[in-house]
Amino acid sequence: MSELPSLVIELANFLVPAGVFAIMALGLNIQWGHTGLFNAGVAAFFALGAYTAAILMTAPVPPQIFYAGHLGYSWPFVGAAVAAAAVSGLAGFLIALPLLRLRADYFAIATLALAETVRLVINNAERWTGGSTGIYGVPRPFDAFTRGEPGLSLVYMAILCVSILLLLILAVDYITRTPWGRVLRGIREDEEATLALGKNVNRFRLQAFVIGCMIMGLAGAIYASLLRFVAPSQFDPLATFTIYVMVILGGSGNNKGVVVGAFLFYAFDWVSVRLDDGLPADWALRFPNIRLMIIGVILVAFIIFRPEGIFKEKKRVFPPVGSR
Amino acid sequence: MKLDGEPILRTRDVVKEFGGVRALDRCSVEVRAQSITGLIGPNGAGKSTLFNVIIGLYGPDEGQILFHGDPIEGVPTYQLVERGIVKTFQIPRELRNLTVMENLLISAKRVPGESLLRVVFVPWKGRARDREVQERAERLLDFVGLSQLRDEYAKNLSGGQKKLLELTRALMSDPSMILLDEPVAGVNPTLATKILDLIERLRNEGKTIFLIEHDMEVVMRRCDWIIVLHQGRKLAEGAAADIRKHERVVDAYLGG
Repeated sequence: MSELPSLVIELANFLVPAGVFAIMALGLNIQWGHTGLFNAGVAAFFALGAYTAAILMTAPVPPQIFYAGHLGYSWPFVGAAVAAAAVSGLAGFLIALPLLRLRADYFAIATLALAETVRLVINNAERWTGGSTGIYGVPRPFDAFTRGEPGLSLVYMAILCVSILLLLILAVDYITRTPWGRVLRGIREDEEATLALGKNVNRFRLQAFVIGCMIMGLAGAIYASLLRFVAPSQFDPLATFTIYVMVILGGSGNNKGVVVGAFLFYAFDWVSVRLDDGLPADWALRFPNIRLMIIGVILVAFIIFRPEGIFKEKKRVFPPVGSR
Repeated sequence: MKLDGEPILRTRDVVKEFGGVRALDRCSVEVRAQSITGLIGPNGAGKSTLFNVIIGLYGPDEGQILFHGDPIEGVPTYQLVERGIVKTFQIPRELRNLTVMENLLISAKRVPGESLLRVVFVPWKGRARDREVQERAERLLDFVGLSQLRDEYAKNLSGGQKKLLELTRALMSDPSMILLDEPVAGVNPTLATKILDLIERLRNEGKTIFLIEHDMEVVMRRCDWIIVLHQGRKLAEGAAADIRKHERVVDAYLGG
């Protein structure tokens, strides 16, 4: 097999993680952008998806002296990805049942607490999850065809990830365009008024929340497969914050906007990490902190000067019925 | 004056307390079908609380509420809309970042497209109803004179237009009874007259209107029947002429 051009591999290296974040942003956009649900526990559903996929796709590892081992079922990627979405969706359903009665601020605190709880449980259920070390050797979907050629498996991964992303953009755009999606936006604008207009507000919120969580779980499965590795430290509150920044920059409520937001944010990350290599040593040391400051300044600037994000939510205009 | 209709709504000894304050104190009222019934009383008399209890936004602590003879206390608000009773808010609660048209479309009932399972698996089945709903919305917009603003964000409407939108939205679900919390407060006289004419027209078409209003001129001229609330309880009721003469009402509310 001939060598792949390095540019293609670089591109794939960019596209897969960016695509994973874009998928997460789409999921969060259903919850926050459309329905106004402040889910501060995005990392929990991401982690549940990633661990579900990692455990299902790997072979079991028995406890060793320096490693606690983990469960394993050697499933193919497709089954594991579906299961990851299902587990995250089920977790979202169970947690939302009691939480949806809470006011928005309490809902945020409760979901934040959930995310930390999930992370700590994963950290401590060592026999199942590998503890703080995590799970290594998660396969990629096309490993069987690409043995010995890591670049090619990454390119396949990128094609798969971008295809899933495109399908999800179409699907999310469709369901949020229907009357069902209109009720979500009504709830975002004024929950009590929407209730008084005859909508079973809690049912809609539950549906929106669960769908968002399923999408995050699917993103987790792709992520685990991309890195070939999961560990609890990947799923700290900063992960949740990052997705919010992407959604806010791109434009809450605009499905394509949040995808662009995710790609732009990750591109910034990508460039800044490469910039890092070219800097003199003392600056390279400071650069990670400067990066966070730049992100902070950009975020604050957006919230003050352009709260609707780069792409404003589209106005939905209905042509007169006769002319359709 | 139409006073011969059957009561469509009845409350019996309804009690609602907020942390020891009795907002409603064994409150019993009746609203006759196809009437415009006014609810008046000083601030804090419990008028808005009574509306919120009827529509299910607050659960009553005691007592019964009957709509068409069926008890409805504890029935969720969205199911009451399904049964044909709807309420507007005193301060308009327009869905700000939805257009005027969307504000109306979302207020229709029995829309199959609002079921997630249907839009995923049988999307074509909702289209006819969507069209029907939009036609109704266009007609209502024409009727109230908001057609020009159909694609404007609701947040950009003037105060009076928001009041009108609030009322129009309530009509989308074709209710048999409408609770209006101060429908013309803060509205300029021309628009107020228009809204009140519309309300009379709705009554003539067979709907029942139950409204809270502070402008006595409006209440006395437009309401078929007036209920006076005082300290969470019915103080008096009757036609305008009787209420005007009622000694205790004058003392408690209308002033000397």
